[in-house]
Amino acid sequence: MKVSKEKLKLAVKQLTDDWQIQPVALPQAGLGLLKLEDGAFHEPFYLGEFPVTTAHLSITLPDGESVEGAAVMMSDDILHVESLAMCDAILTHELSGCETIRELLVEGRALQQQETNKRHAMLAKTRVDFSLLGDAGDENED
Amino acid sequence: MGYVAIKGGGKAIEAAESLLDFQRAEQGADALPLDTDSIEHQLRNLTSRVISEGGLYHPKLAALAIKQCMGDSLEAAFTLRAYRSTRPRLLETAIHNSSGMRVTRRISAAFKDIPGGQMLGATTDYYLRLLRMNLLDESPEQFQKVASNWFKDMPKDAVPETFPKVVDALRAEGLLPPVNRDPKSDAFDITRDPLVFPVPRSAALATMARAEQGGLLTIAYSNMRGYGDVHPTVAELRVGYLPVFLPHPITGEPIEIGEVLMTECEVVAMYESSDEGSKPVFTLGYGACFGHNEVKAISMAILDRALQKGAMDGPQNPSEDAEFVLLHIDGIDSMGFCTHYKMPHYVTFQSDMDRLRTTQSKRQSGDQA
Repeated sequence: MKVSKEKLKLAVKQLTDDWQIQPVALPQAGLGLLKLEDGAFHEPFYLGEFPVTTAHLSITLPDGESVEGAAVMMSDDILHVESLAMCDAILTHELSGCETIRELLVEGRALQQQETNKRHAMLAKTRVDFSLLGDAGDENED
Repeated sequence: MGYVAIKGGGKAIEAAESLLDFQRAEQGADALPLDTDSIEHQLRNLTSRVISEGGLYHPKLAALAIKQCMGDSLEAAFTLRAYRSTRPRLLETAIHNSSGMRVTRRISAAFKDIPGGQMLGATTDYYLRLLRMNLLDESPEQFQKVASNWFKDMPKDAVPETFPKVVDALRAEGLLPPVNRDPKSDAFDITRDPLVFPVPRSAALATMARAEQGGLLTIAYSNMRGYGDVHPTVAELRVGYLPVFLPHPITGEPIEIGEVLMTECEVVAMYESSDEGSKPVFTLGYGACFGHNEVKAISMAILDRALQKGAMDGPQNPSEDAEFVLLHIDGIDSMGFCTHYKMPHYVTFQSDMDRLRTTQSKRQSGDQA
């Protein structure tokens, strides 16, 4: 999800150029409704909507073998989600080119980890160190 | 009274629209257009507001709406909501629990030692409201250095991915009412069904989640100042990213499809005993919305509690009256009603003038007689 869309689309196009790709269900871009449990009484309510796109494809390989792949994403870019559906098929069925997709996965995970590290630092840097008035070792005396 | 069909003004309307676009670009020959990435990141609070009030978690399009509407948050939220009305509804998620939120800020006004600790995150709470004049001529180098400097000295402390909730600890001590969720009751979809009072709590929460921040604050403030008696304590206020899961189209296994930035607040309010003999417990209010909107989440939590009280004992104040609150907090509704008064009312005003003149002439005839 974190790898640039253009890079992913290009990689998938190069891998699947001579494959026959048919939709199992028409790709759709629209909205999803997010249902959340309230934190006080645990009752469900709708927080709001988000963009969502689904793709479900069938791939026929040059040797005649047929496999399926699918993806659903918080996005309104159908081509991107179709590329992800092809990645799903490639990885699930270990088709040729799966190493390339695994490399993209590693890259995406690294980007994701950077984001996680940033968020953890936001918390760690602003953690409140409480002490009672008059206690020694006040952080402001450093 | 009949209506008079009129025409004309088409060219003026087109020219007015063109003038609006001219004003957007009027800055000068050397000026560059605002890019939506900059709006999304540098005007993140405004983007949050538009996402929340538009009811659609789409930061990029919210930024576009802000650009297009030249920063008018009501117009931008209206434009985003208009966009959402053109899109098909494909699905709804299973119930998500916010305890899975990837927190970037969590504080409590109730206890200093909350499980997991308090983290201020990015906040203006302790910030001096003094203008930073140096930002007037901030260079790109200075601007970029702010971000790169922040990444220096990254702490090594391990930070958990998620945190326990303060209200769960209070509930475990028997200080809060039990969870009484009816498994048969489902959430009310305010985008499909009209509000017919009395409405379930889920309708109130959904309406407040996309309410206009100022409207919500105004009514909550009336309760805070004395037209109500919630007297809240913020048990927990958290900001973070909630991962959203949907079933994989083939396997049906839940997969993360993205995440939404949200703000959530639980307030603990005055205790009550629902009937004689039962153990008194604190009461609760809950607020949540898309984006980073703390004033909105706290206001919503206060109003949630006020509305629960109004539903149980009958409304004693405007903030406890569900019909009053829920029908007056939507920014698009209220802005639309307000601004419609600018539109031609030639026939109705003509009628008002006719009636006034008739009354005046009757009064004059009576005086003369």
